[in-house]
Amino acid sequence: MKILVPIKRVADPDNANKVKVSGDGTQVTSEGLEWKMNPFDEWSLEAALRLTEDGAKKTRTGEVVLVTIGPKDAAQTVRTGLSMGAERGILVEANDQELDSNMVAQILKAIVDKEKPDLVVMGKQTVDGDSNVAGTVLAELLGWPLANYAMSLATDDDGKTLTVKRELDTGVSTIKVTGPAVITTSDRILKPESVKNGVTPADFKYPEAEGGRYASLKGIMAAKKKPIDEVTAASLGATPQKTLSYLKFELPAARSGQTTFVESVEELVQKLKSDAKVL
Amino acid sequence: MHFAFSEDQTLLRDTVRDVLAKECAPEVVRRVWTGSNEERVPVWGTLAENGFVGMAASEAAGGMSMSEVDLALVLEEAGYAALPGPIVESALAGLPLLEQLSAGTPHAAWVERVVSGEATLGLYFERQSLALHAPLADLLLVVRGDALYAVPRAEAGLVAQTAVDRATSVATLDYKPSPAHLVARGAAAQVAIQLAYERAALGNACVMVGLARRMLDLAVAYAKDREQFGKPIGAQQAVQHHLANAAGRIAFAQPVVYRAAWALANRDRAGGESRREAELAVSMAKIYAEEAARFVAKVALQVHGAIGYTIECDLHFFMKRVWTLAPFYGTAAVHRARIGAHIL
Repeated sequence: MKILVPIKRVADPDNANKVKVSGDGTQVTSEGLEWKMNPFDEWSLEAALRLTEDGAKKTRTGEVVLVTIGPKDAAQTVRTGLSMGAERGILVEANDQELDSNMVAQILKAIVDKEKPDLVVMGKQTVDGDSNVAGTVLAELLGWPLANYAMSLATDDDGKTLTVKRELDTGVSTIKVTGPAVITTSDRILKPESVKNGVTPADFKYPEAEGGRYASLKGIMAAKKKPIDEVTAASLGATPQKTLSYLKFELPAARSGQTTFVESVEELVQKLKSDAKVL
Repeated sequence: MHFAFSEDQTLLRDTVRDVLAKECAPEVVRRVWTGSNEERVPVWGTLAENGFVGMAASEAAGGMSMSEVDLALVLEEAGYAALPGPIVESALAGLPLLEQLSAGTPHAAWVERVVSGEATLGLYFERQSLALHAPLADLLLVVRGDALYAVPRAEAGLVAQTAVDRATSVATLDYKPSPAHLVARGAAAQVAIQLAYERAALGNACVMVGLARRMLDLAVAYAKDREQFGKPIGAQQAVQHHLANAAGRIAFAQPVVYRAAWALANRDRAGGESRREAELAVSMAKIYAEEAARFVAKVALQVHGAIGYTIECDLHFFMKRVWTLAPFYGTAAVHRARIGAHIL
């Protein structure tokens, strides 16, 4: 099974207090930020790795290709994914500020046309834009089935058909998908028994984890030798058009930190009306 | 010449930082402190499984033959997290010593066990009054003159002592050398033992830098949060100056420690001269790192005020770790004397 995993570098969400808006309010500035793989993408990479290995024997049985769209130094994020176990990477050179979800989906389509993966497994959203759009648009452009918000994946025929449990506000939806398909994942995909691939023994359990697997020392050393192809949208034959422009960014107002205790429900309602002005 | 860590080395550091942030958070250190942690040495299994404990072992033994430079950042992160357990002794100083001297003896079987994380190592040089981490180490490497003994913990005559840092175990040793434990002796063994001492001192310095960085981060966070006279105490110039002095001490110590790691990794490039240079660099690293860590501990405590010394505040884990580890593998005074002997 060959899986394409799109990944994006984002400002480290653990240092969100360092995020600043430019003086004219038109963009979020990246100065002084530490980059990290978008956590949703890290989880989707973990799912893709589990689909393409024998988890018990720790042997690879398929191929995971990473793709990122960004400046040259975004290759470091790809290298991180390679050290976790992915086979190779693709860097599509672009300026972060000139992209939107639609353009990302168009570029990814060009990559899919070239790579012909069996599946695209990607995070349902990024923690910076929070758009939750690129996966859906990509499936539409490809004319492929879409299974978004996946919390578990099971296949026993190398990804040709999958049973996907989707995490929805109203409950869990279980669907059958015929590949090739686009799958977007939620954090529950990290549960010890969330991914079954017909190769890893059915009773095997991955360890409980808050994120994707750690890069092992051998993985880090091996990642040095794994290729990262550098391409451009133009070299892929893509001419993505931007359809979304951000007009203004502003940081949320600082909270007062005050706590008010009330004696009764009536007083609470009164305060919500008069002080908080939310009713 | 380009003096900087490689992309691989920083990726290695970031990975270990990530592992420790998730699995060795202060609440884990607190559980070790109170004796309620489930694991004897927390996070050890994860570190070993991902190859970080056996980094310095040969590839034949399951390691990666990595150098002191590769290990420096890893050990610094171990300090930053106040990782309890014999990481310096197992990963940097003891493992290569055991592997080198035990080849062809029954003691060689321990090497693989340490690399896999199944066993840990302690180190006891003759100059030590206490054995650091000995009650946690499965195998103690004990130096007597020009001989190295590999002593299972139960046979080492350990008497546990209480350190000011309850998350670090120490013991006195009442050990009578036994031929069954002898690994090697003679001139070659002595050279290897001396190198292990240098590595232990370097590793201790790396941990000190990590501890100092963490204490400064804690103090800065507290200075931004704690308000007095209607504003955060960090807005006061006097507090800022204290913190700036602490940051300066760390900034001076770090390159000295990294230089020592490089000198030790390249100790054979010019024969005796480079080995002498490496020893001097290690002594300087131990001095600068220890003094920086002690200084930052004092500043961080001042910034926190009395709460910094309470058991409820995380700061004391790091501060007391500094005070506990500092005397091992040569105090700053011992290393000053060594530099003096070299230059006079």
